[in-house]
Amino acid sequence: MTDAHSNGPADTGAGHRDRDPGPTAYDEASLFGPGSRFHAFFQDPRWALAMVRATVLEAAHPQVGAALADNSTFVAHPWRRLRNTVVSLQRMFGADADVRRREAARLNRLHARLKGADAHERPYDAMDPGVRAWVVATLFESSVTMCRLGGQPLEQGVMEQLYAEFRAYLAALAGDAGHLPPTVQEFWPYFDRVVEEELENTEAMRIILYRLFDHLPAPPLLHGLPAMWAAGRAVAGPLVGVITVASLPEPFRRRAGLPEMPGAQTLMQSAYLAVGLARFLPDGWLQPEGIARLLALSPGADDPRARTIGALGDRMKRAGALVRLLAPLPPEPEPDPAGDTDARRSAEEFFTAVLDQTGDGYVDWPDLAAMAREVAGRLDLDEPDETRLYDAFAAWWRELQGALDADGDGRVSAREYAEAVPSLAGPALIRVAEVLFDVTDADGDRRVDAEEYRALFRRAFRRDMAGTDGTYSRAAFVRDFLSFMSGRERSTAYDPLFSDA
Amino acid sequence: MDGNGRWAARRSLPRTSGHRAAETTVIDVIEAARTAGVKWLSLYAFSTENWQRPGAEVDFLMRLVRRVVRKHAPMLHLRGIRCRFLGVTDPRIPPPLARDFADLMTLTAENRGMTLTVAFDHGGRSDIVAAARSLIRNGVPTEAVDERSFAAHLPFADTPDVDLVIRTSGEQRISNFMLWQVAYAEWIFPPVLWPDFRAAHFLECLHAYQQRDRRFGGVNPNANGERRP
Repeated sequence: MTDAHSNGPADTGAGHRDRDPGPTAYDEASLFGPGSRFHAFFQDPRWALAMVRATVLEAAHPQVGAALADNSTFVAHPWRRLRNTVVSLQRMFGADADVRRREAARLNRLHARLKGADAHERPYDAMDPGVRAWVVATLFESSVTMCRLGGQPLEQGVMEQLYAEFRAYLAALAGDAGHLPPTVQEFWPYFDRVVEEELENTEAMRIILYRLFDHLPAPPLLHGLPAMWAAGRAVAGPLVGVITVASLPEPFRRRAGLPEMPGAQTLMQSAYLAVGLARFLPDGWLQPEGIARLLALSPGADDPRARTIGALGDRMKRAGALVRLLAPLPPEPEPDPAGDTDARRSAEEFFTAVLDQTGDGYVDWPDLAAMAREVAGRLDLDEPDETRLYDAFAAWWRELQGALDADGDGRVSAREYAEAVPSLAGPALIRVAEVLFDVTDADGDRRVDAEEYRALFRRAFRRDMAGTDGTYSRAAFVRDFLSFMSGRERSTAYDPLFSDA
Repeated sequence: MDGNGRWAARRSLPRTSGHRAAETTVIDVIEAARTAGVKWLSLYAFSTENWQRPGAEVDFLMRLVRRVVRKHAPMLHLRGIRCRFLGVTDPRIPPPLARDFADLMTLTAENRGMTLTVAFDHGGRSDIVAAARSLIRNGVPTEAVDERSFAAHLPFADTPDVDLVIRTSGEQRISNFMLWQVAYAEWIFPPVLWPDFRAAHFLECLHAYQQRDRRFGGVNPNANGERRP
């Protein structure tokens, strides 16, 4: 699970520039684009293992860990998150400098909103330049380690080139790369020092290592096959955990008290080696971007590959039917699955599926911020629309907090929510619906047309929602949003936006 | 599929064992039909009137059917048989059984070998009522309703007219079975009870059917003495 959202600094402070003796004017054409080292790695299937490892190292940094634990949706919505991250990396490492500048600005705005304090009241700030440098450092180090563990260590020249690319990535985000040492030779002492002195056994790291893979929700496309998914996960989850732990730097394993499992080293190296063999597959068989998009795709979404997906979905359904028919009969009669198809869901169900975006059992500002982030990402919003959207969600949060937080602990538990459900549709929620309409209505003609609709919901506009002129009126839009949010009605449009994993 | 109860009574066994013995026949007949090149086979497993049977027997049947469906699902799929269940609307059908029916239909939906329609909780009249309702719901104008367009609204509208109905155990009634589709059907009433019915009996029936002259109310074009192929 790569984590571009917490990547990279926006070095707004001016004081760091003078510390940077390295190149300030990067030759972007050679460092980014399809000819870069990064792109070669990006197609490497071992990248997946390396990214899990990088994310663990990232999360072990106390500041990053705190930001992730508070704000990240990766526990509840890992597939959506993965897709967003991959798209972001593609934009940052793509050849188009304008796209890169926009993406960097977007990431900076996004990270500027991630601030707070951890459980020990230590402040964290996703814009802290040292923190952002560390995130890029873990990406680089994990890429190098991936090759080493796979039995093909990088040559010095290649490593230097890759390092320059990652520094350029940091510079594109932050304006300069001063917090990463200028050369690879100086990088290793820096990396070892952080590993030995700064990393901790953080909560976010434990979540990734022990909780995420054991509870990884099925990607939306596989929702029809819960049993099969759970079976695969029960085998793969602990394996990924063991492999990742074994690949972490030894000093850190010792400090964090991570277990040494007999044979884990061999298992880890075999895994890297075996996955690395996939590079002999013909070109185009492995496309991380395509895979990530596929995993995040909702069944029935409007996509050029809809037909293929539909066929795949049918196959999945048939496979699921066969599995269910072959599964031994349970001694007890099965619970009635009819509850699943109710138009309205229970308060608890809605709380988990929609409101609790970070999956920590409470609704808090980061949960609503995650919704705003998803909408802003899909619509590719610029300022000031993005701030308007966040403000609307923030006002809604205050309203929710005021109405529901009965015990005054600053957050809303599932129980508090269930007890106060009817009073949910306050003016601030209506305001969210209106702002959502305004930012979706890109051309400002007070109507959401098919194209604008597609940008937000990634599916085709259905005729029965449209008014007589084939567009979605403000009133209808607000009404549908409210019936989803406060009426807890299932919706083919909003469910994939807010509740799909 | 008549005669399970009588079959059991003749052996002084409970009625349920007659139903259990019927499983072998079902599988035998499906296989015989498939090998003989039959494209559409329908079995009348449970009628809307069968709900009037004693509760314990109904419960037993539901469990038995579920077990049989699950046991033979892979075989049916591997033989390329498309399975579907006609009826299955009553809320008294246990949800797990309905789920298995749906799963088997999903699993075999793309098969193009033989289409096996199992009439379960089926009634011919209720199918016709369902078609009428569907016509009204779709706002079909009166003058547009003819036999063809009406048939298109029946459940499983692609089912062709039934050619041959075999009713075992000597009963000679229609019993509300696919009323619309049997309009021109040939009927054969072998005296053998369903649990004793085997592939050989089925082939005999097919043979008897081949000997019949189907005129559909007209004059047999082959009536000039030529032998039928």
